[in-house]
Amino acid sequence: MAKTLPSSRRKFIKSALGLSSALVLARLAPVWASPLGRSYGELIHSDGPIDLLIEQSPMNVAGKSAFPITLNGSMPGPLIRLREGQRAQLNVTNALKTDTSIHWHGIILPENMDGVPGVSFPGIKPGETFHYEFDVTQNGTYWYHSHSGLQEQVGHLGPLVIEPADGDIGADREHVILLSDWTFEDPHAVYRNLKVAEGYYNYQQRTLSDTFDDIKKQGLADTWKQRSMWNKMRMSSRDILDVTGSFYTYLMNGRDSETNWTALYRPGEKIRLRIINGSAMSFFDFRIPGLEMVVVAADGQPVKPVTVDEFRIGVAETYDVIVQPKDSQPYTFFAESIDRSGYVRGTLATEMGQQAEVPELRPTPERGMDAMGMGMDHDMGSMGATNMDSMAMSHKGHEMASGSMDGMQHQEHAISATRPIAPVIDIKHTKAGHGPGAAMLAENPTSRLNEPGIGLENVNHRVLVYGDLIGAHPWPDEREPERQIELHLTGNMERYMWSFDGVKFSEVDGPVEFHHGERLRLVLVNDTMMDHPIHLHGMWMELENGQYPRPRKHTISLKPSEVVSLQISADAPGSWAFHCHLLYHMKAGMFRVVSVV
Amino acid sequence: MKRVKTLTGLLLLGFASVVSAQHAEDDWPEPMKTSLTGQLMIDRLEISQTDNGDNVVTWDAIGWYGGDEKRLYIKTEGENQLNDGEPSELESAEVLASHLIAPFWEFQAGLGLRGSLDSDVNREHYAVFSLFGLAPYRFEIDQSLTVNEDGDIAASLEAEYDLRLTQVSYLQPRLEVAAALTDALDYDRPRGFNSMTLGLRYRYELSREFAPYIGAYWRQSFAKTADLEAARGKDDSEFGMVIGVRMWF
Repeated sequence: MAKTLPSSRRKFIKSALGLSSALVLARLAPVWASPLGRSYGELIHSDGPIDLLIEQSPMNVAGKSAFPITLNGSMPGPLIRLREGQRAQLNVTNALKTDTSIHWHGIILPENMDGVPGVSFPGIKPGETFHYEFDVTQNGTYWYHSHSGLQEQVGHLGPLVIEPADGDIGADREHVILLSDWTFEDPHAVYRNLKVAEGYYNYQQRTLSDTFDDIKKQGLADTWKQRSMWNKMRMSSRDILDVTGSFYTYLMNGRDSETNWTALYRPGEKIRLRIINGSAMSFFDFRIPGLEMVVVAADGQPVKPVTVDEFRIGVAETYDVIVQPKDSQPYTFFAESIDRSGYVRGTLATEMGQQAEVPELRPTPERGMDAMGMGMDHDMGSMGATNMDSMAMSHKGHEMASGSMDGMQHQEHAISATRPIAPVIDIKHTKAGHGPGAAMLAENPTSRLNEPGIGLENVNHRVLVYGDLIGAHPWPDEREPERQIELHLTGNMERYMWSFDGVKFSEVDGPVEFHHGERLRLVLVNDTMMDHPIHLHGMWMELENGQYPRPRKHTISLKPSEVVSLQISADAPGSWAFHCHLLYHMKAGMFRVVSVV
Repeated sequence: MKRVKTLTGLLLLGFASVVSAQHAEDDWPEPMKTSLTGQLMIDRLEISQTDNGDNVVTWDAIGWYGGDEKRLYIKTEGENQLNDGEPSELESAEVLASHLIAPFWEFQAGLGLRGSLDSDVNREHYAVFSLFGLAPYRFEIDQSLTVNEDGDIAASLEAEYDLRLTQVSYLQPRLEVAAALTDALDYDRPRGFNSMTLGLRYRYELSREFAPYIGAYWRQSFAKTADLEAARGKDDSEFGMVIGVRMWF
């Protein structure tokens, strides 16, 4: 494998190597996650063919013996570094006992190179080598993972970075931060537990003492009203992540918090952090206490810089941020699961062995009535002083007549007045609902693009919202959509059924049809109480968040009872997967094939 | 017959076209495989001491296998009074086909058996229809209607509620009501409400799958049922303490 690095980079490596000789961590997990960051030549960077060997091998994960799927001996797999404009050639050899595959997440490529067994190709049989070859027409931060069964959960994933054609990454140094969730359990057992025992992994449920606390705080009548709403629905307001930190070991570049993955920097440098959420089931809130982050790309695509202190990263999303520490103190990379059941941290330091204070986990948030899609138009009087802290107010918040306004006022501050409002979409809801596979129907779904999400409503620093994202430049197709397709995200938590429009993948009677060459609007309505990261293969989705240019994404996270609209150019002929990127939701049936004909 | 065949052919054809619409080549695998699953839930396996000093072992178990909508259930309940020299009393052993009719409700139909475990004398065969699921406020409900070979109709209701005290401990009130819509004197079920049992159990999960508990129950027999029991020298009400375990596989 030829490593070709521009000479300016070589000089950089020399000086970077001078920083520290310690590479002690490199034996534990991926060698690419070098403390020195980009350009320490252990990553796979090649204009020629890249060979990847997929096998299952014993490895130490978080201090315990595990048996993950490794790629070229590491879990997560090697950092694959390509350059915009090159022709990528990747030979993937399957040394597992079962079929496998690699999907290049977020990459625009021909249908037969997309790596989804049954949709784009037959999969890679044991002992076989599949040759992927495609033109690299984009740059940015992406990742790759198995699209076969539940392999992604056991480590079959890795980072994929594409350098811009001019090689300018807009920073002096870069580090990849790949977040993942590891379980020592067999993923099929995890799936079964979710299926047969609702709440199996949730050790943050409401208990009697929470009810007493609520009564103390807001009185018996209001507590009763609130609890009865949830209990009538037979749902839990603490149902935030299906599999929690009580079972998962969260990893940063394959290392747990104890191991403390460390990235090195020199004061004054501009550092580009490429943050990838390669988890199977976990949304994270990412922050670096004491250091502001300038978001410059979302899902690999450049956005106008936004300065934030924290951002939420849905499963399969990526964000690029620039940080520029002026002093030489260490900083903590803190990725906290959104239900606050756990975290993983790493350190940004000038020397190995340093560490900064690790923040406490924040209290478990609680879903408000907004999650039920009651919207704000409902009679708030009857809801009384509903738990406003947890209720993210939409822009209609000022219509509220009563209740404790504290939480709401915070919210009004948090939402900048300059943020535009996403277009209002009329959605169709049949009163009949979506059948027994859908336990809920968001009667009054709203745009929630300007809300930071559950648990972040009242933090006293800047949190990124989708409404902040502005594309760095206009995209080539400026036509108005000619056609609208509406899909509803549906589920029944009790039986762990997940689907679109109440119909599981195994029961749908055909693909979602896009006409080749058309510009269309895809409207997604979340009729569930969970957040879902929805991923379209093969084509970009331009998020209609009221900004221009629109940001474009490969994965869009929907909050409970949210409606979003996306513009899509159906320019990629063939069959493409379209699914929820929560692994077990996809497995349960929240998956469709989009056919561009 | 011919029409049936044609219809079946058409159905199969329809099915085939559905399958091929899903992925590009027929010999490719399905991108997402649905899997069947199942569970054996021993909701109660307990020993109770009644206020008459009797010791009774009780079981109450449900097993199911299937997909999201269609499942096969087996349900069994029964008890054995220790040291009374009599065989176990099978309250029910049922096999049911179940269909999900609403997000939280299954309609189930099947066949059942109840009576003494060793003699055929009081063995009763019946058809059973159940509405099984989760009522608003999260009450777990199993209501059944049974019809035996003689046409005797009986109804029963079981309701449980889990009040979460901590993340691993629960207080569980439990209600069981039995009624007969017709006189079935051969089986000691005179028409009317037969009995009601109220229970309260405190359960502690050592793991999600294994949770020992302690508790108490109170059973009251009504009207003619009470008379029948009085004739046998039994009280019309009974109180007992229980210790047991809830487990599933």
